[in-house]
Amino acid sequence: MLSGYWIFAPEVLIVAGAFIALFGDLLPGRDRTAAYVGAAVAALAAVLAAAGGTAGPMVFGQVEPDEIARFARTGIAALTALWALWVAGRGMPDERRRDAVALAMFAAGGGMLLTMAEDLIVMYIALELSTMPAYVLMGYRRRDVPGLEGALKYFLLAMLTSIIMLYGMSFLYGISGSTSFAELALEGSGMLGVLGVMLTLVGLFAKMSAAPFHYWAPDAYAGAPAVSVAFVSTVPKIAGIAVMARLLHAVAGDVGGLVTIMAVVAAASMLLGNLAALPQSDLRRLMAYSGVAHTGYLFMALAPDTSAGYGAAVFYTVAYAVPSMAIMLVAAEEGSDLTDLGKLASRRPLAAWSMVVWLVSLIGIPPLAGFFGKLYLFGSALSAGLVWLVVLGVLTSVVSAGYYFRVVREMFFGDEPAGIAALEPAPTASLALAIAAIATVAIGVGASPLLAALGVALG
Amino acid sequence: MTETVNGIAFAILAGAAILGAVGMLTTRNVIHAAFWLLESMIAVGGLFLLLQAEYLAVVHVLVYAGAVSVLMLFVIMLTLRRREDSVRPVEVSVAGAVMALVFGGLVFAAIASYGDRVAEMPETAPDTAALGELLFSRWALPFEVASLVLLVALVAAVWWSREEKR
Repeated sequence: MLSGYWIFAPEVLIVAGAFIALFGDLLPGRDRTAAYVGAAVAALAAVLAAAGGTAGPMVFGQVEPDEIARFARTGIAALTALWALWVAGRGMPDERRRDAVALAMFAAGGGMLLTMAEDLIVMYIALELSTMPAYVLMGYRRRDVPGLEGALKYFLLAMLTSIIMLYGMSFLYGISGSTSFAELALEGSGMLGVLGVMLTLVGLFAKMSAAPFHYWAPDAYAGAPAVSVAFVSTVPKIAGIAVMARLLHAVAGDVGGLVTIMAVVAAASMLLGNLAALPQSDLRRLMAYSGVAHTGYLFMALAPDTSAGYGAAVFYTVAYAVPSMAIMLVAAEEGSDLTDLGKLASRRPLAAWSMVVWLVSLIGIPPLAGFFGKLYLFGSALSAGLVWLVVLGVLTSVVSAGYYFRVVREMFFGDEPAGIAALEPAPTASLALAIAAIATVAIGVGASPLLAALGVALG
Repeated sequence: MTETVNGIAFAILAGAAILGAVGMLTTRNVIHAAFWLLESMIAVGGLFLLLQAEYLAVVHVLVYAGAVSVLMLFVIMLTLRRREDSVRPVEVSVAGAVMALVFGGLVFAAIASYGDRVAEMPETAPDTAALGELLFSRWALPFEVASLVLLVALVAAVWWSREEKR
C-alpha cells in the first residue's frame, strides 16, 4: 500500500539533503562539502522526479503528481542542483555556504510539493515553505544593512500578500465547504466567488511579480547578492506557475471573467516589465523587470484555460529559469553593474558566448529553448482568440531585444572596467555555467518530445 | 432567546475586536499598540468560543494573546534604547483610507450579494479529540510541512542573530 508513496522520494530526498547541508559542519571538508552534497542530492532528486512517473490524486486527494508536476519538479530539482554546484565552486559573498544551500533546498522541497498541490491548505503551506527561505537568501549578508532592508521589505510585502491570499481562501472554503481543488464548487457564487479567487490569485501574482504587484522585485533584487537573486527569481517561479495552472483549471469553469483578468495582468506585465527594463544599468534590476515581463508571457498561456496552454506555460518557466539563473550567476562572478561586464568577451570568451546564448534564448530566437517556449505560449493564446495579446507579446519581445542586446554590446564592445582583480578559477562554478548553456540549447532541441509529454499539441 | 443572546454577545465581541484593531493603528505609542492588539486577540478568541470552537478559542488566547503579545512587548523592550522612541507619529494617509473603504465596500457587497446560502453546518461542533484525529490523519501532510516552515524560520532567526567569525 505504501509503495505508491515512492513517487515522493525526490521531495523526501531534497529535504534530507537540506538537513545534511545544515549540519555540514560535521562533514569532512565542511562548508564546501555541504554544498557539493546538496548539489549531488538535488541532482539525484531531479533524476528520480523525472523517472518517477505520474499518478492520480494521492494523500486524500491533496496532491496529484501528474505530468505537469513531473516536469516542474524535475526542473526545480535540477536548477537547485545547478545553483548548489555553482555555490560549491564560488561560495556566498562574505558568508559561509551551507546555510544558503540548506535554505535553497528547503525552498526547492516546498516548491516541488507546490507543483503537486490539489488543495488550498497544501498549496498555502507549500507556498510558504518555498518562499520563507527566499527572505533569508535575499538578506544573506548579515552586515550589509541596505541588503537587509531590501530583504525586510520583501518579507513584509510577501507576508501581506500571503494574508490577503488566506482571506480569499476563506471565502472559497465558505462557498464550497471544502478546500480541495476538485471540490471547489463556485458555480453561481457570483461576486463572492470572483472576489475569493481574485484575492487568492493576488498572493500568487505578487510572488511571481506580475504587473500591478511587481513593485517589490526591483528594489529587493538590487539590494540582494546576485547569487541569491539567481535562485529566488527563478526556482519559486516554476512552482508558482505550475500551481497556478492547477488552481485556474479548477476554478476557471465556474468563475467568469478570469480570462480577461489574466489577459489584462499579462498585458500590463509585458508592457511594464519590458519598458521599465530598457533604461536599467544594474543587471539585477534589469533581470527583475525582465522577470516581470516573462511572467506576463507566461500568464498569456494560462489565461485561456486549456491544457495545452498550461503545458506551454510550465515548459516556458523552465526555459526561462535556466538562462535567467545563469545570467545572474555570471553577474555574481563579474559584478552586477552593466559596465562590470565590459570586454567580458576578451577576458572570458566562453562565459561571454554563453551569455549570448542565454540572452538570445530569453529574446526567443530559434533554435533555443526560449523560442519554442514562446512559440507555444503565443500559439495557445492565439487559439483562444486573444489576438491583441499575442500582438502585444510579439511587439514587447522585440522591445526586449533592445535591452538584452545592450548587455551583449557591453560584453563585446564595452570598456574594460578599471581596477578589477582577475577572477580566481573555479572549475565547478564554470561547470555549472557550462551545463546551463548546454541545457538552454538542449531544451530547445528536445522541445518536441518534452512538449508532447506535457500535452501540448504540435504542428 | 439564545439567538438574541448570541447576537448581543457577537456584537460586543466583534465591536471589541474592531475597536482593538482601530486602536492599534491610531495609537502613537508602540507599547499601547501591543496592548490594543492583545485586546483584539482576546475578543477574537471570544468569537471562536461563540462558535463552539473551544479548542481554537483556548489556543488563540494562549498563543496569540499570550505568547505573541508578550513576545512583542519583549521585542519592544529589548530593541528600544530610549523611552521617547516608543512614540511614533501616526501617519494619516488619505489614499490608504480610500483604498480601505473601497476594499471594505467590495467585500461587503460581495457577501451581501451572496446572501445566506451558507454551507450546511454540522449539528454539533466537532470536539478537540476529533480535531486532533483529523490533524494526524487527513491533514498530516500539511501539518508536517508546517513543521518544516517553522524550522526554516528558526534557522533564519539563528542566522541573523548570531555574530561569529567565519
